[in-house]
Amino acid sequence: MSLFSELMDRNRVKRTRQRKTANAGMLTLTGLLTALALVPLFWIIGYVVIQGGKNINLDFFINLPRPLGISGGGVLSAIEGTLVVTLLAAVFAIPPGVLAAFYAARSPNTPLGVALRFSTDVLAGVPSIVVGLFAYTLLVVPMKHYSGLAGGAALAVLMLPTIIRTTEEMLKLVPASLREASLGLGAPEWKTSLRVLLPAASSGIITGFLLALARAVGETAPLLMTALGNERFDIKQIITSGVQSHLSVFQIIGHIINAPVDSLPLTLWKYAQQPYPERVAQAWTVALVLMLFVLIVNVSARVWIQSRTRRMKG
Amino acid sequence: MSRKMIIVTSILLATGIILSACGSAVTPQSQTGAGASTPLPAGSVQVTGAGATFPLPVYSQWTYAYQYVDPSVVINYNGVGSGAGKTAILNNTVDFAGSDSLLNADQYTQGVDLQMYPMLAGAVVPVYNIAFQAVPTPAAGAAAVSLPKLILDRQSLVDIYDGKVTKWNDPEIVSLNPGLANFLPGTAITTVHRSDGSGTTEIFTKALTSFSPDWTAGGAQSVQWPGNGLGGKGNAGVAAAVINTPNSIGYVELAYAISNSMTYAQMVNKAGKTITANGASVEAAMTEFANSFTPQLTATIVDGTSDGAWPITGYTYIILHTSTMIDCVKAQKILEFLKWAQTDAGAQTAATNLGYSVLPDVVRTNVLAKLAQVTCNGQPVLMP
Repeated sequence: MSLFSELMDRNRVKRTRQRKTANAGMLTLTGLLTALALVPLFWIIGYVVIQGGKNINLDFFINLPRPLGISGGGVLSAIEGTLVVTLLAAVFAIPPGVLAAFYAARSPNTPLGVALRFSTDVLAGVPSIVVGLFAYTLLVVPMKHYSGLAGGAALAVLMLPTIIRTTEEMLKLVPASLREASLGLGAPEWKTSLRVLLPAASSGIITGFLLALARAVGETAPLLMTALGNERFDIKQIITSGVQSHLSVFQIIGHIINAPVDSLPLTLWKYAQQPYPERVAQAWTVALVLMLFVLIVNVSARVWIQSRTRRMKG
Repeated sequence: MSRKMIIVTSILLATGIILSACGSAVTPQSQTGAGASTPLPAGSVQVTGAGATFPLPVYSQWTYAYQYVDPSVVINYNGVGSGAGKTAILNNTVDFAGSDSLLNADQYTQGVDLQMYPMLAGAVVPVYNIAFQAVPTPAAGAAAVSLPKLILDRQSLVDIYDGKVTKWNDPEIVSLNPGLANFLPGTAITTVHRSDGSGTTEIFTKALTSFSPDWTAGGAQSVQWPGNGLGGKGNAGVAAAVINTPNSIGYVELAYAISNSMTYAQMVNKAGKTITANGASVEAAMTEFANSFTPQLTATIVDGTSDGAWPITGYTYIILHTSTMIDCVKAQKILEFLKWAQTDAGAQTAATNLGYSVLPDVVRTNVLAKLAQVTCNGQPVLMP
């Protein structure tokens, strides 16, 4: 072997070694930074679990809040209030959201479709406190009382963009051949949308709703101005008293949705700024319950949407 | 369940909710004619109130206890601040408001038939967090050295908030506190005030206005604070800011200072006596001003001249509409609750236990008389 080729060989080995070192170095660096980025998430979860888990018990879920110094208080009012407000938000947001998404998916390039897409993006960026003020002016002041209804309406506005966007994406994933086949067999457009497209995209739509819900359920600002807060909110009591007063079902529902309500984030916000250690401890437990709820909804929605997308694309 | 069923059910549900929303939330009237003979079902009257945070601890105890007095009524009080409470009653979005800030002439005009009813009184106290210097370390096993409480007079409190006295070892403070002369540090004073519209601020700044002509920012629920200071939201926010800021001073209601185990200053009052904020010194102020109520049943009771009066004292009020409440059952329940709070021995004890002072008998008589004048549909609400 000539001296020249031997030198070349040695050079190549050296360069390969350099490349490998650089590669290992960068890999370690990115790995470390990834771990660093994950630290806050696990730190938050871990800290909330440790702080909130200390005094989690059954009383916490089945009792109404009690004044300081009286033991056994819970946050039942906040749990019930959160359910009422999010259920109302769903009722208000799903029908228009899904219908708008149908339009956007069907005619994306019409002026209305473009306007819809644009305004959905803008709406997604509107601060939630502004939405709260909007609902306060439009619902609370004319109705002359704070209510879960106004809170639900505010949250519905916040949920709309997510619902419209995910539903639209899911509808686009439905193969065009399915739609064409349905139309080709003589089904009218509305029937095709309702019986072919909607079922095919249904799980994606539900997932979009769950994602929107996970965002809305953690909102405090819009509820401050609409739902106000109500430590004595008790659905069971409203129903029993309604039945005893011989009210109709609609009247009882009216009483439930017209009452000011508590919600978990609202209670968290109120308790956390109080100077009393007992309340701060409860705030941590509320944080834990809220976080678990959002995590479960969020993770299951994402798992669902991923499996669905893979199957449809597959 | 078939798809059709789901669709039909959801349409029904949506219609129901919209219909229910249109119906007003007026409580059942069936019992009004029959009087109190047939009690309303438990929880059938929902009352909403909002406002001052100062009385929140005692109001939440009262409303909690009242469910055992009259199970038919559920009273929901939210501490959103005096300013927000007044706005809410002016917009008619609540049934009653709590405030320790007084309504002004415009608000009385706008609210048409608003009336303020004093409920309790309390002391606003200067709370401080001074990093005392050269404090001797206690011998092993001995208790920590306890320094005397800071004493301020009327002028020095104004000078601190005005920015004239900027250091804790200023001669003006040292001369009032000979016992602290060696320990007061030469560091800058940080003043803490409320960032939100607050009745506590109104009481405090009204007192400052009365203390000295040097205070020119006036007395209101929010003022233009001279100099640089920290802002805190709510009594709790001010307390937290003082706790977390060395060499700071702030002002909170006595109940909050006690519950946070904060040290609060003594004051030299107008009579030249050194006073500690407590039930007795608040009562002295109330007694002195017992006859200075306006026809609207409000009184400013700061800077009293009597020997035992705490100089920064104020009433906290409930605000009601006196003739335009629509729901007469609800109106009756609210008035019964307020009457109970003023006359029940247990309710009054609960207030004093928390650090509040209850009304003097003469004031309470006036409040009850005013409550009896409230009408609904032209009829008096409270039966004599």
